[in-house]
Amino acid sequence: MRRPLLYLAGIVLLAGTLAGCGATSDHALNLTLSALATPLAKGTPSPPSKNVNCQRATASLRPPATLPAPNDMPAASFMAQIRRKGYLVAGVNTGAYKFGSLNPATGNIEGFEIDLVKQVAAAIFGTPNRVRFVALTVPQRFTAVEYGRVDIVADTITITCYRRTLVDFSTVYYNATQRLLVPTNSGVRDIHALVHERVCASASSTPIDVLKAMPSQDRPVPVGEPQAIDCLVALQQGTGNIAAISTDSSILLGFKAQDPGTEIVGPSLYPVPYGMAISKAHPDFVRFVNGVLARLERDGTWQQLQTKWLGQFHQLEATPKPQYDG
Amino acid sequence: MWVADDDMTLEGLGTGVAPAHAGRRRGVGARAALRWGRERLATTPGRLVLISLSVVVGAVVFGAIAIGAEQSRERAAKAARSQTEPLLVQAKNLYTSLSDANATVATGLLSGGVEAAANRNRYLGDLAVVSTALSTLTRAAGTAGNASAALGTIADQLPTYSGLIETARTDNRLGFPIGAAYVRAAALLMTSRMLPAADHLYTIEAERLNDDYRTGTSASALLAFVAASAGALILLLLAQWYVTRISRRILNVAMVVATVVVAGVSAWGIVGLLSAQNALKNAERNGSDSVEALSAATVLLSRAQGDLSLAIVNRGTDTADPNDFKVVRRVLERPGGVIAEISALAGRTGTPAAAQQFDREYAAYQAKTRELTGLEDGGQLTDAIALAPQASAISEELSHGLAQQIDAAQARFKRAAADATSAFDGLAFAIPLIIALAAVLALIGLRQRINEYR
Repeated sequence: MRRPLLYLAGIVLLAGTLAGCGATSDHALNLTLSALATPLAKGTPSPPSKNVNCQRATASLRPPATLPAPNDMPAASFMAQIRRKGYLVAGVNTGAYKFGSLNPATGNIEGFEIDLVKQVAAAIFGTPNRVRFVALTVPQRFTAVEYGRVDIVADTITITCYRRTLVDFSTVYYNATQRLLVPTNSGVRDIHALVHERVCASASSTPIDVLKAMPSQDRPVPVGEPQAIDCLVALQQGTGNIAAISTDSSILLGFKAQDPGTEIVGPSLYPVPYGMAISKAHPDFVRFVNGVLARLERDGTWQQLQTKWLGQFHQLEATPKPQYDG
Repeated sequence: MWVADDDMTLEGLGTGVAPAHAGRRRGVGARAALRWGRERLATTPGRLVLISLSVVVGAVVFGAIAIGAEQSRERAAKAARSQTEPLLVQAKNLYTSLSDANATVATGLLSGGVEAAANRNRYLGDLAVVSTALSTLTRAAGTAGNASAALGTIADQLPTYSGLIETARTDNRLGFPIGAAYVRAAALLMTSRMLPAADHLYTIEAERLNDDYRTGTSASALLAFVAASAGALILLLLAQWYVTRISRRILNVAMVVATVVVAGVSAWGIVGLLSAQNALKNAERNGSDSVEALSAATVLLSRAQGDLSLAIVNRGTDTADPNDFKVVRRVLERPGGVIAEISALAGRTGTPAAAQQFDREYAAYQAKTRELTGLEDGGQLTDAIALAPQASAISEELSHGLAQQIDAAQARFKRAAADATSAFDGLAFAIPLIIALAAVLALIGLRQRINEYR
């Protein structure tokens, strides 16, 4: 009687062991599921802007009486360094149609700002093509200049007192203004027709702050998108019930050129003067660029470039008058 | 424990006094049953009748336990083979194709206004796989709440996604930079809504398959089967021991045959369960584990390639894509990461050559992407864009190699899963049949002894 029971106990024990050996492992499953669940990385956030007051924010350093000839830069100057390097490195916009954008058909970056930068390169090298273009995000525009990753930035940067504490600016090369873009069939002629309507602008930008600063009873409802161009996508797609887009006229005329179903309306809501950003360590280069800009205006190249890129809009904004403060 | 069964009534023994007639109170019934039991225990033929009853009841109970244990494992193995694993493959197809489509369009729209035909076809091919997988999964999802919600998200957003992509293509052909904004909007829709839904579905299917593996190899089912077999054998041996003790005959042929067939079917069952368990474990270790790791690598590689292209599309607007590119590469490359797992599994499954080829191509991909991001950072955007199709081509080779490895792993799974289910062949019929046969044989054997007392 004992023995069969003992045998049976043995069989049960053996079965238990075999079952244990056959147990499956979740290692591969857990590893792959957690790898797949890797959350999307976020972009580096922009540092907050500070409120700084100053006199004549758009005034810049006076250019030398005569510009050095191309390929003949003063020995110790930053321009001579650039010449030795062989090319100018410029931070630019690659999404602002007509100002600075990548042409998908050619793979080239082109626009009004790009041609101005090429003129600066031509003044150093005698040929406009010695430029390398770097696309920069909004916060990168200033750090790239500060840390010398780029020599100059021409990227629809509005000159402000706060930004002047970070970098030096050239004289104003384009007097943009904040305006409105509406569908051609909307009948809207100015901002007064948009009270309580949703108006889209780039989030955390000067244009959206301008809208928010209007008296609340007669202002539109500001809607922020990551980029101003995302506002045009929303307007075309009819998402978000957007009645208008408000941003720099330079950007808006690029929008209109991409979408004939829109138009720019109303007077300037805010001045948006553009300057090229240069490191505070290189005042000689600031003066040199100001000299180039002054010459372009004098010899008519400026007007030619405006007509070339901005076409029918070249008279939308007033030609900038350079201001110097030393 | 008693059974009022007229078949069990044995003439001349007063067993017809079945207790618990309708209308009796429960306590009275129980008392009557106890009295009936005590009366039977008092005499040898009475005890034989009790043993007969126990053998029948034991056969029913132990048989039911054994069949239940066998069935739970057989059902799980069959489900793994023909339902959950094929659905996991469909969920994988959905996930990898959505992810590949997103990477493909981003790369294609970089390469100038006129997209390469091969690139366009790859995108359309991805969308076709997505549609097939969506309809297969939708048919199978039935009423599973969270699976059908995820399927609904993908089905709802797919037309919007492809609409945004077509607008991007048109703008791109016109030379408008808003095309990049449309690609960005489409990619955002894909990565923030559609891919998480695909990931959710994939997780559901992977966990369902894992549940089948657990049930199909569960120790408790095997132990229950062994215990039930042992119980049935002990009962038969006890019955024979008693019969041997009260009669002069040592052997009761019918009962010996009953014991032998029960022992036989028990051994068959245990061997069947163990070999099925082994085959199912093999299906997991050599088949579906590889399918899962290789699928994850495919999805993550597409994500990296998408990030690489989107970083150029989104240049100057956001640093999320280059950041994500770094994160994804870390998940792939770190020690104990997905690529290490692929190598380990290739070693386990005896296919190291494929993993080595993958490693070589991946090293080429790393070098190409380093070159590309270097050019981009150094302001040679045009050169970087010119290099993008080369990086994309290596990435396509990588995912092609992974797809071949997945096919091989899938074949290994199918072979092992077929072994697992065939190990159960016949058991589901044999167990009840043999238990019933054993019970009848035992009753015949006992009846011979009882009849000796008439």
